[in-house]
Amino acid sequence: MLSLEVQFQRGNFNLEANFALDNPVTGLFGASGSGKSTLLSLIAGLANPDKGWLNLSDNLLFHSAKKINIPPDKRNIGVVFQDNQLFPHLPVNKNLQYGYKRIEKKQRRFEMLEIVDLLEIGHLLKKRPTQLSGGEKQRVGLGRALLASPRFLLLDEPLAALDQGLKEQILPFLKRVKDELEIPMVYISHSMDEILHLTDHLVVINNGRILGTGHFYDVLGENGIQGFASTMGLENTFRATIVGHELESGLTIANLFGNHIFLPLSKKYIIGKHCYISIRSSEIAIAKQHIKHISIQNQIKGKIFHFVPNETGITVYIDIGGPLVVNVTRKAFADLELRESDEVHCLIKAQSFSCLGKILD
Amino acid sequence: MFELTPEEYSAMMLSLKVSTWSVIIILAPGIFTGWLLARRNFIGKSLLDGILHLPLVLPPVVTGYLLLLLLGKQGFFGSWLYETFGITLAFSWHGAVIATALMSFPLMVRSIRLSISTIEIKMEQAARSLGASAFNTFFTITLPLAVPGIITGCILAFARSLGEFGATITFVGNIEGETRTLPLAIYTYIQIPDGSESAQRLLVISVILAFSALLFSDLIERRTTHWIGAK
Repeated sequence: MLSLEVQFQRGNFNLEANFALDNPVTGLFGASGSGKSTLLSLIAGLANPDKGWLNLSDNLLFHSAKKINIPPDKRNIGVVFQDNQLFPHLPVNKNLQYGYKRIEKKQRRFEMLEIVDLLEIGHLLKKRPTQLSGGEKQRVGLGRALLASPRFLLLDEPLAALDQGLKEQILPFLKRVKDELEIPMVYISHSMDEILHLTDHLVVINNGRILGTGHFYDVLGENGIQGFASTMGLENTFRATIVGHELESGLTIANLFGNHIFLPLSKKYIIGKHCYISIRSSEIAIAKQHIKHISIQNQIKGKIFHFVPNETGITVYIDIGGPLVVNVTRKAFADLELRESDEVHCLIKAQSFSCLGKILD
Repeated sequence: MFELTPEEYSAMMLSLKVSTWSVIIILAPGIFTGWLLARRNFIGKSLLDGILHLPLVLPPVVTGYLLLLLLGKQGFFGSWLYETFGITLAFSWHGAVIATALMSFPLMVRSIRLSISTIEIKMEQAARSLGASAFNTFFTITLPLAVPGIITGCILAFARSLGEFGATITFVGNIEGETRTLPLAIYTYIQIPDGSESAQRLLVISVILAFSALLFSDLIERRTTHWIGAK
């Protein structure tokens, strides 16, 4: 679908990327300043690579050697900006029509009414962009991009400027767009949680370099990107199965590598389904034996199979049916006299687990 | 009591005519130059910027004299104009328009440049990604959003034109009914005996004109900022 090989230099920043995307939705993941937005500009034609080529569905958009450079208005690639960039001098309906009226009738894939209904923005049409809330602006921005009938959609951190509550209101709309409209898209974000709501196919970028592409697990796993998971706080990310709920105690029970673990009770967990759960290695404590009279709900039995000193302490790898990474200080490691093959209990508060993205089938 | 003599009236009308025309002829070049300086990087940009600002910093008499050397009947370019088209700018109200336009051009450009540079480039990029050509984007996004700055530029240029003295008197002289604008008329009346009453009447006219221009610009600016939806 989209493939590219580009080089781009501005001042000290250097970007080199080479990858191909084939999934309906791909998450472009990276920290701020990693080159995500630059890459977006290159794809959309808002900036030009110094060297290389870009290909969208067997259509050369850019080729430095062949001197091909399709201007952005002819690329038919929709962009949704983080700060929405609605035109302040036009009311919402004129904003929505801006791209719509610029394409030929027979090339239009969506009608106004369809998109207005899908995004539930009918009551906003006569308003000015300045009269809208952040979430409404983002929906109008999305609708405006869709009404230009793009063959590819780039979403540049569309939720980053919104607070958590609003994010959760907008995400369902993005899912609707993904499920109902069949436009391939790239979702750019520094939040793995947001990305996993829409897709688990990733391109990971750091410092202008593509670190890896592929399925979430391939990128994150042992054969994935070295050190990537831990720098992102995703070193312990597992797929767990929801087993049941304990309403009185306020816990949800899940199965992780054959262990029963307790998560904070939430109705979003559906029994029998799976979800990604994550726990930071520094939030796990180690005990030599089972501890009674403690508020911590999870005491998972495991066996140390490896440990590595690092700058701040010691990284201990514990087999709990799968590998669990735990960070302890040197003092704690010495006090407990930990050795390889020791049987230990891993102490994790239910509240320390976070659930990433959507509930999987 | 407050009745203008035909001479005074003609000075006022001439001033209005010259100032209006000078704003009209510099409007389009002002928008283009303002955009060029706000949005483009090119070799010689600072040189262009410097040359544009010269009329602001040079003594107006110098600017007027330069115009005379260039566009006067014997001037470098003026002689060609005369021989080819029979046009003389010196000592005609057309020349006064040229002189005031040149003097007020930098004010117009500064104001437009400032307002264009505050428009986010991303907004223009959004328009491009929605299928608008660069040209179309300029007219549907950049220009409407720059309207408050353009209006401010026009008013500043108009006010500057009303007050222009040095370049005008040097380039086109002080001919009654042709090039004697308000400031020139006031100057003339001060020079002659019994002229002070006329001078004072024109003084009042000048204050009224300048003040109305300011009020008008304030009104329009508020209207347009509301219209483009900015806060």
